[in-house]
Amino acid sequence: MESFVYVLFIVVLAVNALIAIYGIVYRRSLTKKLISLTILSDTVFVAIILVGFIFKYPVVPPVYSGVESEEAFLLEHASDPLPQALVLTGIVIGLAVNALIAFGIIQVYRLTGTTDAKRAIKALIEEVMEE
Amino acid sequence: MSTRVVVLIVLLAGVVLSAITVTLLLKPEAPVSVRDLGKHYINYTRHNTSSPEAVTAIVWDYRGLDTIYETVVLYMAIIGGLALSTTTRKIVLKTRIGLTSIAKTATRIIVLLIATIAASIALHGHLTPGGGFPGGSALAITAMLIIPVYTLQSLLDQGVSSTRLIAVRGLALTALGLVAVLPVFRGLEAVTNLKFYPSHIAGMLISGSLWFYNLFEFLAVASGFAAVALYLSIPEEIYREEIGGVE
Amino acid sequence: MIVTLIVLTLALLLSLVFIYFAVTEKDLLKAVVFSAGQSVCYAILLHTMAAPDIAMTYLAVSVGLYSALLVFVISKTERYEV
Repeated sequence: MESFVYVLFIVVLAVNALIAIYGIVYRRSLTKKLISLTILSDTVFVAIILVGFIFKYPVVPPVYSGVESEEAFLLEHASDPLPQALVLTGIVIGLAVNALIAFGIIQVYRLTGTTDAKRAIKALIEEVMEE
Repeated sequence: MSTRVVVLIVLLAGVVLSAITVTLLLKPEAPVSVRDLGKHYINYTRHNTSSPEAVTAIVWDYRGLDTIYETVVLYMAIIGGLALSTTTRKIVLKTRIGLTSIAKTATRIIVLLIATIAASIALHGHLTPGGGFPGGSALAITAMLIIPVYTLQSLLDQGVSSTRLIAVRGLALTALGLVAVLPVFRGLEAVTNLKFYPSHIAGMLISGSLWFYNLFEFLAVASGFAAVALYLSIPEEIYREEIGGVE
Repeated sequence: MIVTLIVLTLALLLSLVFIYFAVTEKDLLKAVVFSAGQSVCYAILLHTMAAPDIAMTYLAVSVGLYSALLVFVISKTERYEV
């Protein structure tokens, strides 16, 4: 039973990433590309946390709560704290980059009047060629 | 049924069937124990950093330099957004009234509750899951709630502008850098925790510099995203005049 | 243990449904709502996998800040795709 859920995890996360990559490459609106980029990075974060998960009952977060002789219990039943710290840094940096991309989309709309990727690039190149 | 729903049902069925097939053919084993490095962190974190929470100890003590650089990256993104939204003249908008008084009273109660919860998440970060960054984001959401209810011009009248909020963020980042750099004057390394800072103050567990890091990160993130919300809600006609070249 | 496995399976399949509808939707406001629904499914998944720190951060960032940022961007540019 646990191995079925483990395999289902890997298959569903891979299909999610593939749908997000399809959204980045084949959709023409810049805003839709930004939404698909956030979906792709979130799927990768869940896959990283899957590395530190154990299929046991009960599984607890790696936090001491003041009860005596808790170290032996936590060594057997706690999840890994190191991937969680790396994902925390990743979420913040992803937020910074996505906020900057959103400002870039607004500026492209102000300069060319469209958010269609092909037409915006064509309009920007024509503006450069005129000068 | 439209094409999208049919493709979705085919996808779901394909995923479940392929998972069942791979499980029956390969018979993989699900992991039942953590790696040795994780066991080392769980074992020694309470003794080395005096904080019972392993994730906050790794983020601010074992790998503290990574977190300081990540805060600098967020600062660069906010300044980049500010550079794309400056105007040459002072902004004066026409609407000052806002929504009805029912909406304003409800917003006041909700903002007070969210501010209390955000402060509790941030200041308790060395004892429970949480920390500086989730608390700061929760407080920034209240800024995005206040702006449509009390309009932007009434906030600008009271002296809350985006450049002042970015100045507050700069002060919080300076304090963060000071907490990180202060041990150097005694001859220790840059981001040390227990060799320089006390672990208990007046009998309460403070875990050295972790509490101060959480407090300053909370203030920095909240003021930064409130500044982003303020200069994102300036209407577009002002920018169209700027680009069109109004004299 | 069986309840944990059922919650994991249901959250995974629901997130697949939301992601497919978010990527293939022409009205961008509906796509933002589907993206927020996918974030809630991932937050349930992260909490069941014993990572409460990440679940709190992910919920505040993805459902609060990304949805507000994208609604601002849509109101300043176009609403319908193509």
